[in-house]
Amino acid sequence: MPFFKTIRWVVWKDLISEWRTRETMSSMLFFALIVILVFSFSFSMDQDAARQLIAGIIWVAFTFTGIIGLGKSFTSELQNDCLESLQMCPAPKGAIYLGKVAANFLFMLSVEILLFPLFVLFFNLDVIEAVGTLLIIFFLATLGLSSVGTLFSALTVQIRAREVMLPVLLLPLAVPVMIAAVEATRGALSGDPFSFYSQWIQLLIIFDIIFTVVSFWLFEFILDS
Amino acid sequence: MINRIIRQIQRYKGWFGGGAALCIFLGLYIGLLASPPDYYQGELVRIMYVHVPLAHTSTLAYSVLFFGSIWYLWKRDPLVDNMCQASASICALFTSLALITGSIWAKPTWNTWWTWDPRLVSFTVLLLILGGYIMLRRLVDDPVQGGRYAAILAIVGGIDLPIIKFSVEWWRTLHQPMSFSTRGVSISEDILVPLTLMSIGCWLLFAYMVMVRTQILYLTDLLHAKKGRFLSQTHFSQTTP
Amino acid sequence: MTGLYTRWALILGATLLLAILTYQHYQQHLSTLSMGTLLSSPPVTQPVRIQGMVKSGTLQGDVEQGQATFEFVDGAASLAVEYQGPPLENIRELKTLVLIGRWDNQAQIFRARDTALINNFGFVAAAYLISVLALGWMVFAMSQRVMVLFKEIKESKLYEPEADSLGHKE
Repeated sequence: MPFFKTIRWVVWKDLISEWRTRETMSSMLFFALIVILVFSFSFSMDQDAARQLIAGIIWVAFTFTGIIGLGKSFTSELQNDCLESLQMCPAPKGAIYLGKVAANFLFMLSVEILLFPLFVLFFNLDVIEAVGTLLIIFFLATLGLSSVGTLFSALTVQIRAREVMLPVLLLPLAVPVMIAAVEATRGALSGDPFSFYSQWIQLLIIFDIIFTVVSFWLFEFILDS
Repeated sequence: MINRIIRQIQRYKGWFGGGAALCIFLGLYIGLLASPPDYYQGELVRIMYVHVPLAHTSTLAYSVLFFGSIWYLWKRDPLVDNMCQASASICALFTSLALITGSIWAKPTWNTWWTWDPRLVSFTVLLLILGGYIMLRRLVDDPVQGGRYAAILAIVGGIDLPIIKFSVEWWRTLHQPMSFSTRGVSISEDILVPLTLMSIGCWLLFAYMVMVRTQILYLTDLLHAKKGRFLSQTHFSQTTP
Repeated sequence: MTGLYTRWALILGATLLLAILTYQHYQQHLSTLSMGTLLSSPPVTQPVRIQGMVKSGTLQGDVEQGQATFEFVDGAASLAVEYQGPPLENIRELKTLVLIGRWDNQAQIFRARDTALINNFGFVAAAYLISVLALGWMVFAMSQRVMVLFKEIKESKLYEPEADSLGHKE
């Protein structure tokens, strides 16, 4: 099967199965809502404190929600031995990886875009000028999280205690994404000029490129046995 | 080929152990007794003679783990896999000791046990990655599969660590200018002699420990094989028709 | 492999020797005397080190030339100090430091010759002890494990498939 066609089919397959069950997206959304509630209970915030903390809160909520989605991405393949079919599939493994990354990326980004208005509502943010840059930041950081996360989702799916091991392995490696995303979001929300935080966006781009290439290469070793 | 190299090294590991013991004892003697106290830090400078070599050695250990993992994914040599496993646990030991001694040094110098200094943060993240590596090893039933997964984690971590260090440094300098720097003071000869001796000693000790630990893992595999408990998937599929 | 324990006994001996040497060095050259001990039983000949604080409002003399007199307090006890030595760059009132000198019992004056930084030997000792003990214990445990494994491999029998209940071999 040609490379790009495989990618398209993997994405299509994930989207269809998600459309039929609506499991991943709904659990991610509810989890994120609960995280937002817990945060607003644990820091009783006024306007100033909210501006200080909001970038961190947004990204903690997005990252943990993303981990739920990433975990589901391969555990759903365990039913009916779908994972083995993927292993035996005569398609390039890299294409399967890229398809999975694209599907995870779509899920995570759409949840983020659905959630962000709630953040604006709950924490009284003033975002109208920053929406464009925020979208770029969300796009890049989500791509970084899903490129590393898909690799580790595939890696942890075949071991014991997989629900615990995915965050344990993924979060230390995602430290640069977290820092860059939080800093860039904080800059964008506080209305700084773009040049103040463009370095963080560069860091995100570099991270995305490096880890998409590296994971693309390493994914072959996970699925071969 | 790597097999033969490792076996050759195993043969001469006594030299490494002896050299390490010699260097470390000499370094300890000079560091504790013969070297003068530092002008600014007083006697506290002596903590650096253990702390800095430990930190250097843990980065060396991670590089061994990183290149060993690449080699393992390429050639699938079980002995290299054993070596990676050995250097990961030893790297974890060195990293935690470096963090502990660094913390002990920070208390009288900066008047706090812990600060979000870039070096401290990157070493903590390194320790977390190593913890994940060791846990991952234990959680996979099939040793061949476990070795492959662990190698993948080590490679991703090895590429990530410079980025982590860089981003954390950037982040700290943004929020609080680096008020304290240990590297600002030019290193005098008094400091350099014990520091070099201890560094060489720690590198030799690391080499020795990796060899012994690789030997342990290899012998454990051998024992299991001899008792017929070698439960690798590949082994199973080869022996049972 | 019987040499293992002899080797480790040697290493342990060397470490203990080093520890004793360090402790003696500390006792002779670095430990400070408390002011109370100095006043009650003054050592006449040896120069001693005492730790304390420069009392506020008592510092007099030419600090840059290395001459000063001040009162030195440590808790309740206090001393009159006459300093004569290297220039004092960073002395000021209310500063805690270590003085090196002799106690003149007749004049009731401490004649200081030099100063030193406050020592924190607890931290140094803790750092060294933790690293040396942890590393030493790890290496020892590993060498011992190799020895045990060699013995076990030698003693263990080669694998023979067990007969199942019907008497067939696997």
